[in-house]
Order: sequence, then C-alpha cells, then structure tokens
Amino acid sequence: MRHLPTFATTAPGRLRVAEDGPARPAGRCRMEALITWLDWMEAWRSRLWPQRLAFLDGWMLLLPALLLVAVLVVGLVEIVDMSLRSLDRATFLLGEDWTLANYAAALSRRATWVIGWRTLWASLVTTVLTLALAFPYAYALVRTPNAAWRRFLLVSLFLPFFLGQVVRAYGWLIVLGRQGLVNSLLGLAGIEPWPLIYTPPAVVLGLVQYMLPFAVLMLAPAMTAIPEELELASASLGAGWVRTFTNVVLPLARPGLVAAGVVVFTLTFTEYAIPQIMGGGKFDFAAQAVYEAWFSTSDAGQGSALAVLVVLVSTGLTALMLALLGGRAAAGRVGRAAAADLSAAGMTAAGTGAAR
Amino acid sequence: MRGERGKQVLITAVVLFDLLFLALPTVIILLASFTSGSIVRFPPEGFSLRWYVELVSGGAFLDPFGRSLLVATLATLFAVPAGTLAALALARWRFRTAGLIRLWLLLPFTIPLVVAGLGMMALFGELRILGSLWPVGLACCIINLPFMLWAVSAAVNHLDPELENAAANLGAPPLHRFVTVTIPAVMPGIVTGGLLMFILAFNEFLVSLMLTDARTVTLPVQIYTSIRAVITPDLAAVSAVYVLVALLAVWLLDRLVGLDLFLRAR
Repeated sequence: MRHLPTFATTAPGRLRVAEDGPARPAGRCRMEALITWLDWMEAWRSRLWPQRLAFLDGWMLLLPALLLVAVLVVGLVEIVDMSLRSLDRATFLLGEDWTLANYAAALSRRATWVIGWRTLWASLVTTVLTLALAFPYAYALVRTPNAAWRRFLLVSLFLPFFLGQVVRAYGWLIVLGRQGLVNSLLGLAGIEPWPLIYTPPAVVLGLVQYMLPFAVLMLAPAMTAIPEELELASASLGAGWVRTFTNVVLPLARPGLVAAGVVVFTLTFTEYAIPQIMGGGKFDFAAQAVYEAWFSTSDAGQGSALAVLVVLVSTGLTALMLALLGGRAAAGRVGRAAAADLSAAGMTAAGTGAAR
Repeated sequence: MRGERGKQVLITAVVLFDLLFLALPTVIILLASFTSGSIVRFPPEGFSLRWYVELVSGGAFLDPFGRSLLVATLATLFAVPAGTLAALALARWRFRTAGLIRLWLLLPFTIPLVVAGLGMMALFGELRILGSLWPVGLACCIINLPFMLWAVSAAVNHLDPELENAAANLGAPPLHRFVTVTIPAVMPGIVTGGLLMFILAFNEFLVSLMLTDARTVTLPVQIYTSIRAVITPDLAAVSAVYVLVALLAVWLLDRLVGLDLFLRAR
C-alpha cells in the first residue's frame, strides 16, 4: 500500500502502456490483490497471535522443523528401548523387562566382530582413496583460469552427485559383471572372464565413486580460501611445487581434508546399498548386519542392539578422529558443523546428508 | 617455476581419471539402455528404443515412478516451509539455547540412515500409518532437512538486515515485510534447498525400503528388487530416466543459482 515503496515502482514505460491500454497494467492489479490479501492475513495474524505473544515469534518459526526432527528422535528412543528387551522365542514378542542380553549376545558372536572390522577397514581404505582422488580435482576446480573447463568439471561432479546409490551400483554391475564391459573387452583379447563383481575391491570401488563428489564439494571451499599468492610466493622463494605443496597447500587445506575425511568415513561406515548390491551379500557391512537381524531373523531386539552399537561406534570414531587428527582448527570446523554455525559448515552438513 | 610441468601433468592425469571414473556408470547405463537385444552385451546388439517404449507402455516401473514423484513432491512441500522458517528464525532471533537448537536440527545427519529408517518404521508401525505414501515423504523430508536449513542459512547470511529494517521504517507490518522483502531475498537459497530435497527424496532408497510394502514400493526400491544376475536392458532404461532427471536438476541449479556457488569460500 501507500506505506510500501516497493509497490510504487511501476516503470514509466508501463504507465505509458496503461494510458492507451486498459486502465491498469496487469502487474499492478496483481500487486494490489497481494496487498489486500496481505492486509487480510495481517488482520488475522494480529487477532490470532496478539502482540503479547511476540516474544514467542522465533519459537513459532522454529516449531515445524523442531517437530520434524522430534519424529526421528522418538524413533531412535524406540530403537534403544527395543534393544533392551530380548525376544521371547515362544511368543515371538519382545520381553517386558529391560535386559542387556541383546548386547551381550551381539558382542559374544564372532560375526559381529568380523563385520565390524571389515566395515572399519573398508571405510578407512575408501576414505584415503577418496581424498587422494578428490584433492587434485578440487585443486583444479578452484585454480583453473579457464571458465569453460571449470564449468565442465562442475557439471561432471554434480551429475553423479544427483544419482542415487542403486542407479550407480547398477551402472557398475554393467561395467564389472560377468558379461559386463570389462570382461567382454578381456574376452576380445582372449582372456578368460575375471570375477570382478561381488569382490571386496568392487565394493570399495563403488564406495569411492559414490563418495568422490562429496569430498570434492567439501574440499573446494577450503581450497578457495587458500590465496594463490601464497603458492606463488613460495615458488618465488625457490621452493619446487612438491615442497610448496607439502609446506604450504597441505597444511592450509588440512581442516578441509579432515572435515571431508570424517564425513566420508562416517558415511561409508554406515552405508548399506553399495556393499549390498556390489558385494552380493558376501561382504556384509555393519548396516547390512542390522538389516539382516531385523528382517531375516526377525529379531527386533537383536537388530536394535546392533543398530545402537553402530550409532555408538560411528559417533565414537568420529570424535576420536577429530581428537587425533583435528587439532583445533579442524575440530572447530566440524564442531561448528555439529553444534554451532550451520551455514559456515554447510558443506560438512551437505556432504553427510547427500551421501545417502 | 621449477618443475611446474610435473605438477600440471600429475593433476591433469588424476582429474582425467576422476572424470572417467565419475562418468563411467552413467555413460554405460545410457549405452545399455539403447540396445535392441534382450540382455546387455558388449559390443551391443544394435540400436533401438524398444526398452523405453516398454517402460512407458505399462510394466513394473510406471507406478513406482509415479509414487517416487509423489514422495519427492511431498518431501519438498514439507521441507521448504519448515526449513525456510527455521533458518530465518536462527538468523534473525537470538535464542539462549541456539547451540542446542542447531545440534537438534543437525541430528538427521548424525544418526545413521539405517537406524533412522528402522526407528521411523517402528514408530509409524505403532501409529498404523505404514502402507501409505505420505509417511515416506515425511521420512525423506526429515532425514534431509539439514540441507534445506543449510541452503537457506547461506542465503540469509548474505542478506543485509537493513533491507528489512528499511521496510519496517517505511511502515510495512511484519507479514508484508516477510512476504515482500525477506522471502524474495532468500529465494536462491529456497530454490537450491528445494531442488536438493526433491532430488534426494526421488533417489531415496534405504528408508523407502523399510517404509514401503509391495503396494507402495518406490522406484529405487523397485529397481533394487529387480536386479538379477543377468543384466537386462529394461533396468538400464529406468536408470536412464534417473540420469535424465539428474541432468535436468543440474541444468536448473546452474540456471537458477549457478554451480559456482558451491566453490565459494566459507
């Protein structure tokens, strides 16, 4: 209305149109409808939400998001509750009383430890390989003076980023399968088919390819923050590029590397689809063990105990890695992601989420 | 500079390898989907669109495709208002417990997906809402909600609070200010977040696997359960649809906010 200058910004050109056309330009009509509507809403707002409640405004805006997350937390509480009840084999119901029997059973089984170590090792190998492949990509992305090339690199990164695990794993099945691309090429060269799929290297390959875009997208902003002048200065002082890299670039990129590493590790540690599809059920990860216990053995108590163990171990390992590698800078970076500044650590958060 | 060539060669080599590595599954899916044979073989048996024709003329994937679209739309519709309002509240209001609130809102990223899925499955089962599609959309919204918050937060932080103050000075009441100043200013963040929410929900597998049954199965779950030892081109054609959607999303993201946004130092 009168009090809103933004609505008075009808361009002179448009007004001229209005003179020889209909009385009012359409844009202006729409604006007035919006204002009327807003005034009406404003009136309702002040009736339903009197001024004395204004101190709650912020909380009202937060409420929907807080409630959505609460659904997740209630679910988690249910899992913890179920993990503390053991299955009655006679009735196939969970018991009334709380007991640690599920945890004792899980920890005394050899399979738990085998799967645990396998998941841990595979996650470590995946993390190291992913970072090694992501670092030069992020560097090229940030440093290239060629805009078209940067654009190509970005599109090549985002396209797989927007494809889910199942589709990508299926692509790898076509490449690595028994009658897949690689084996057909080997066949043309007269080499016997090689069992490529359903092997541990295939699982790691799939995981690295899945994690690569996240790692690059987390490293790139950290890389942008390193001024190129520092590298040039180091070179002009006589350092070769290897020395510049190890003494200048790497230390400055360390917080980004640690953050990316922690996210890739955590995501890999709890990954389900890729080890399931590319491992063929022979190299189960922790998440698969949880799923199996729930749906194959139908023991919700046991499955829940394993689920809680996965949460505890992955959280514990994240904290440990930050304590060992982080130093203050990286801990601050990921710490912000966990608790403080949502947007500053956005990519940390983004990485964790999208990897699913 | 000494040895600069060595550095260039090394970086270029790794980047070219990465490009091939990133593109290989996508390219191979597209190639396989155009075969005329009934299994995928190399070299391909000839070019045809028969698997795409089969896809749209009924078959097992049409309904799941529609369901996935619905789930992704619902997740986006839930997340956009909730995430936008929360991000604005965190940026514009002072909360004594701000740290705790942020920690709470980041929980969906710190709880492993398999555990989040099981928890919601147990909860939705007790509420007797398993078997409909909207809880799947709700679940996809919850597990990816921090994305929406992140996208809008980044946009709010680049917004000058004086804009809103100026509008207030000129007498605009709160809702007017919100709709005509704040929302348009953070629109790039809302668009980025909404797009991410849609794509992630459209691709969501594990949580859908737990929350759907035979009548409500979504597309990624349908693809997963159709994977057999022999590679059939019908799956490649469905996967190619995903590639198409991803391409569309990249194009939209680039057009609306620009991919360079993700390189910005924070």
